[in-house]
Amino acid sequence: MDILKIIGIGFLTLIVSIILKEYKKEYAIYCVLIGGAIIIFFSLETINSIIKFIKEFSLKYNNGFIEVLLKITGISILTEYAVSICKDSGESSIANKIDFGGKIIVISMSIPIISNTLSSLTQLLP
Amino acid sequence: MNIDLLFKIAGIGILVAVLHQVLTKAGREDQAMMTTLAGIVIVLTVVVKEISTLFETVRTVFNL
Repeated sequence: MDILKIIGIGFLTLIVSIILKEYKKEYAIYCVLIGGAIIIFFSLETINSIIKFIKEFSLKYNNGFIEVLLKITGISILTEYAVSICKDSGESSIANKIDFGGKIIVISMSIPIISNTLSSLTQLLP
Repeated sequence: MNIDLLFKIAGIGILVAVLHQVLTKAGREDQAMMTTLAGIVIVLTVVVKEISTLFETVRTVFNL
């Protein structure tokens, strides 16, 4: 999905939301939501191929780290989408709450990795 | 999930705005409120459907 398409959709959403802000405030938010969704949807195809490559590459170390890493990237993409839209519409407190929730989920998912590395570290130490 | 969805929402927004103005000028505030609410409901259903497809796709891609 080349970059021109992404930039085009972005500018289009920008213009439409500015026009709509003039008449009706709430419709601007809807069209920003849809524009962001379209861009992420188009870039998901390239992400799909990247993930296939990572999965083949990581067949050697068959442990759960790669799965957790992919999950964390997915969660961060979605939280980033929501946080930027909330900030854009002026509600930075909601954005912080979403960010906070996303961080908690990421930390909770990375607990096994942390415990694994810590245990391997303690074995290394004398 | 293509671009004309954006134009549909923009069209509905401007139409509702114009209808609101016309109806308020014609002295029918309640009907103006009704058309605004109807416009919001229509656009909200479209947006929620699109956002749910996006979340579903992200879920399947990253097998969250």
